[in-house]
Amino acid sequence: MSTIMECKNVTYQYPLTDKPTLKNINIKIEKGKVYGVVGENGAGKTTFCAVLRGFAPSFYQGELQGEVELEGKNIVEYGGDISTRIGYVFQNPFTQISGVKDTVYEEVCYGLENFGVPVDEIDRRVREVMKLTNIESLAMQNPFEISGGQMQRVALASVIVLEPDVLVIDEPTSQLDPEGTESVFEVIKAMKEKHKTIVLVEHKIDLIAEYADEVIVFKDGEIVAHGPTEDILSDMSLLKKGVNLPQVAVLCSKLKEKGLPLEKIAVTDKEAVRVIEKALKERG
Amino acid sequence: MDKSFLEQVQIHKKNKLDGLHSKTKMIVLILYVICTFILAVKVTRLQLPLYQIAWFGVLLVIFALSGQFAKCLRGMRAVFVVFAVIVIAQSLIQPGGEILFKLGPITIEEHGLQKACNLGFMVLDVAGIFVWFFQTTSHKEIAAALREAGVNDKIAYVFVSTLKMIDEMGKNSRTIMNAQRARGIETEGNLMVRAKAFVPSLIPLVLTAITGAEERVVTLEARGFSVNAQKTSVFKLEKSGAETLVLIVSLLITVALAAWRIFLA
Ligand SMILES: Nc1ncnc2c1ncn2[C@@H]1O[C@H](COP(=O)(O)OP(=O)(O)O)[C@@H](O)[C@H]1O
Ligand SMILES: [Mg+2]
Repeated sequence: MSTIMECKNVTYQYPLTDKPTLKNINIKIEKGKVYGVVGENGAGKTTFCAVLRGFAPSFYQGELQGEVELEGKNIVEYGGDISTRIGYVFQNPFTQISGVKDTVYEEVCYGLENFGVPVDEIDRRVREVMKLTNIESLAMQNPFEISGGQMQRVALASVIVLEPDVLVIDEPTSQLDPEGTESVFEVIKAMKEKHKTIVLVEHKIDLIAEYADEVIVFKDGEIVAHGPTEDILSDMSLLKKGVNLPQVAVLCSKLKEKGLPLEKIAVTDKEAVRVIEKALKERG
Repeated sequence: MDKSFLEQVQIHKKNKLDGLHSKTKMIVLILYVICTFILAVKVTRLQLPLYQIAWFGVLLVIFALSGQFAKCLRGMRAVFVVFAVIVIAQSLIQPGGEILFKLGPITIEEHGLQKACNLGFMVLDVAGIFVWFFQTTSHKEIAAALREAGVNDKIAYVFVSTLKMIDEMGKNSRTIMNAQRARGIETEGNLMVRAKAFVPSLIPLVLTAITGAEERVVTLEARGFSVNAQKTSVFKLEKSGAETLVLIVSLLITVALAAWRIFLA
């Protein structure tokens, strides 16, 4: 697979702080993969997202060393067009409403209007994305008068409609109920199926286990672990680094310690059922 | 088949005044305000600006001809309250001149009544025409007109989002008020009681407004707000066809009033 984004020796310090928030970040983001970003609060996950999108330093100011590249070119060289290459969705659904549109339909149109896309094409693309994000039935509603999960899907739609290659999504469900969370992950799943590259910060580790291809672990502004999801989430030493591991992974590891010959430490419920069943059968 | 979304977000108005292009409405508004000042002539023995009352009658006619009489009157409620407060306070407080009315401790004197009418009618007329403008012009018509007029994107955004925010805050404070009522805080009753309930209800509103600002900027940037492109608009601002006629009529009225004021009054 080809590398779509790369951070080379990135260190970033917010203004008015005395030490860097991100230290020596080196990572290659491969095209079409979903990256789960985890780590305790204040570890620098949000800052990492802002650096990937270029908001740090362009908006937050502060000092950036090293390079953030998209397809081999520094992201600052893309100028305003970077919005159509990297989409950014974050936590609070309420602040992701433009505040100037009367209906959900027009809200999703807003970005394309800014880019001067012809109206016919806007309409076609917006209807397509509304179907994908399951917000068609909300089209004529006031974007401020829908539920948090619906708002978050509108925010996702507003970004997806710009057809970015990379989606950076920072804790999209932390303010949502289980139903809202599920509806948002339906969208993420659909984007994964379309082979979009996704960088996803998410505290609900079971969702990471299910959707991510690779996991990046942050601690104190550094990447302390990075690899395929199964390898990372089955590494019990990460518990000490403030990472939540899936309950089933912890269970598998305990069972293995007790002598049950598991083929591997499963990280999703489905896999766990399979390997435990298999081990029990083998033991007879 | 149902109408497409694209069709549903358009605004088609049958009434020729209601459907005037926002720019024409703006000109009508400005001319109306100019006329209000022209008509500030003091008449009768008491020197009151009574022509402005007649001019308010014209405003009511505009409300009616726009087919939005009820809606505009609803919008006028706050204006009427301000008008009443001004008239009552000024006429009771300002001393001087002939005593016109006396009942127990209440006296209305000449100067007080003059002050009250000068300020009160002016407020009634000027605020009234603004009410007409905003009751007959939606946010998106204003936004589209600003864009057509080539107004700077940032200024236009601040203007439109503020208008929308005022609407949303109104709804929000109602939600918060309801929540507080549910917790047993009095939100009904006299002014003092309501004021006490209102202040704490503002705090969460203001706080969310401040903390949301930074993220809102990031949101707008992520949607290409500052991209240098010729923006397009899904919403098409329409004209009612009466623009030229309305312009000519309002200009004629303004010129006629000005002439009358200069040469005859
Ligand atoms: N705008 C800012 N200015 C200064 N420091 C900040 C700012 N935003 C975050 N930080 C600091 O950077 C560190 C990492 O924060 P953040 O990236 O939000 O972590 P996470 O998303 O992993 O919880 C924290 O110590 C936080 O206090
Ligand atoms: Mg965060």
